[in-house]
Amino acid sequence: MEKLVQLSLNGLMAGAVLAVPAIGLTMIYAVLRFVNFSVAAHMAVGAYAGYMLNVWTGLPAPIAIVGAFISAGGVGIATDHLALRPMRGYSALTIAIASIALNVMIESAIRFGFGGRPRDYAIPLRRDWTFGFLHVGPQQIDNFGIAVIAMIILFLFLALTFTGKAMRAVADNPMLADSKGIDPDRMARLAVGIGMGLAGIGGMLVGLDTSIDPLVGFRAILSVFAAAVVGGLGSIPGAVVGGIAIGLAEELSLLAMPATYKSVVGFLAILVVLTLRPQGLLGARA
Amino acid sequence: MQKRTLVTRRAALITGAASIAAPFVTTTPGFGQTGPIKIAGLVSLTGSGSPFGPNSKLAHQAVVDQVNAAGGLLGRKIEYIAEDDQTNAEAGVRAARKLIDADKVQAIMSVWASAVGSAVLPLCWESKVMLLGISAADSIAEMPHHGYFVRTQPHTELQAKEFGRFILAQGGKNIYLTMPQTPFTETVFKTIRATVEPKGVKVASMIIDGKKTSFRSEIDEVMRTNPDMFMMGGYLAENIVMSKDIFRANYKGKIFGFAYGITPAFIEGAGKEASEGIYGVAEPSPAGGSSAYAKLKALVKKDTLDTYICQAYDHANLVILAMAKAKDPTGTGVRDNIRKIANNDDAMKVDNALDGLKAIADGKEIKYAGASGPCKFSDIGNIIEVAFRTTQVKDGKLVEVKS
Repeated sequence: MEKLVQLSLNGLMAGAVLAVPAIGLTMIYAVLRFVNFSVAAHMAVGAYAGYMLNVWTGLPAPIAIVGAFISAGGVGIATDHLALRPMRGYSALTIAIASIALNVMIESAIRFGFGGRPRDYAIPLRRDWTFGFLHVGPQQIDNFGIAVIAMIILFLFLALTFTGKAMRAVADNPMLADSKGIDPDRMARLAVGIGMGLAGIGGMLVGLDTSIDPLVGFRAILSVFAAAVVGGLGSIPGAVVGGIAIGLAEELSLLAMPATYKSVVGFLAILVVLTLRPQGLLGARA
Repeated sequence: MQKRTLVTRRAALITGAASIAAPFVTTTPGFGQTGPIKIAGLVSLTGSGSPFGPNSKLAHQAVVDQVNAAGGLLGRKIEYIAEDDQTNAEAGVRAARKLIDADKVQAIMSVWASAVGSAVLPLCWESKVMLLGISAADSIAEMPHHGYFVRTQPHTELQAKEFGRFILAQGGKNIYLTMPQTPFTETVFKTIRATVEPKGVKVASMIIDGKKTSFRSEIDEVMRTNPDMFMMGGYLAENIVMSKDIFRANYKGKIFGFAYGITPAFIEGAGKEASEGIYGVAEPSPAGGSSAYAKLKALVKKDTLDTYICQAYDHANLVILAMAKAKDPTGTGVRDNIRKIANNDDAMKVDNALDGLKAIADGKEIKYAGASGPCKFSDIGNIIEVAFRTTQVKDGKLVEVKS
């Protein structure tokens, strides 16, 4: 029982961090209708931007994370404009494949600039807090809090602002939104910027807990993609639910199978959801 | 009316003879091959092996430049080509295919990761290209490689026995072993158990998924057994994450890992607090007092050398000297002659390619003794004699310690 509770706590913490880039992935899908796998590289962009601000200029990590959002979002808009926008008329599969190529290019560019060795943020390494039989890391709590704040800001933006509502309208029915004078191109750029910005936050959160290298996002992308699919591609609340579900499933899998097969959980979740409920737990476009 | 094509008996004979001769025209050394002799380094410039690959390339190039400056090998220049295997089997195979099929190299040197060595070796023996590896998995030398493989890194079983010795020397009673899935994980666990369990040491083990970004739950599992020694047997990236997670979990016992995963890059990534006190075990000790070691230091202008740059230096010297001994700059020439210049203890000792080439030209038998050690090989290509050293992180620096 104690083991079950501890694993669930670990899963909840990991899932909240996973949900942030998963929201980015699903948001871009909702507006542009293709899976942009370069989310992985944009996680790395955010992680390195945050590293520069935190280590090179001495900014505290919570402020550097804003820089991670802006940088990854900016790079996302630029790379989408240069590499993926000219392919808008092609099939979703073609653009998704192009996004994989884009991902490799961005990761290679980071490796060219920073090298391949892992780097550490300028934050103190703190021991876990213990509550009875449970323990949790202060950094895990920080990351959980940042992830929750980012999600709340996004939900408020989408629910209360005109631009947020316009973006949801484009995601729901682009032609109708166009007829109401909403510029779909502008909304697409905004969706890519916010989506990749969230990926950048996710990359920095992973790095704060571990370390960063050019593949920091690549290692997480399967779980991120699985979270988006499980929640329902295109559904932002679904990405949150999916992220936590995958986080919990990966950690709880240790009760039933060897740790070496942890990555299988993501594949298994995608397989089960696509077979039994292709629209995901919350359905698309919530 | 259809035009008939007449094939005369003479034309048929010429065509047939040409077909039979064609393979020999393209492969026989010295016949139509007056260009440079091509040898390659398949090194890890990116990925887990990236702390070591650039130095391997540096050592290879330095030896080749030295020999070329002195007139080359068998009257020809040597051309050195380096490819990055990305510490990844798939990328390694692509790079090896390019080296073998497009560049036509005769030897590939200093493949680091076992997964890459395992994947590339079949391409080498099928193409009669010699592979000189660092890759340690026992299974590699056990492949049917027809002699086209030797390695200077002690194979896994030897390393695992060294881990067993280290655990006993440190007084371990209850140990926990973790490693990612690799071609040698099972061998390491099995050999350590066989070494320490008869002495009453309790052993638990776990194979982790090295691709994950956190190992908190795995560390929880380790902590439940309350071990007095913990083996963090991963490569650089997973060791960094694991060392932080076990520090956070307030573990107080001894932590040790493969020396290739406990490096200055590890200390930088994990930070001073999480890395402090961790042991690096089973590092083949370079022949620090040897003349070859001193020559390599001068050649690459470095004050200290790790085992991998020493092994890379030895690989380049061994390939060149074996080709010279064979008077045949091919993979087969290296295969058939490498033990003649490496295992012959009674012959004249040489510690670099230039002296060796001169001695061979004078008709003398030679024994190459390298910067990484004596460089003697068994029938299946394993290194025979090896000395290990143990390092420990102290005040943020790696220092050699007695164990």
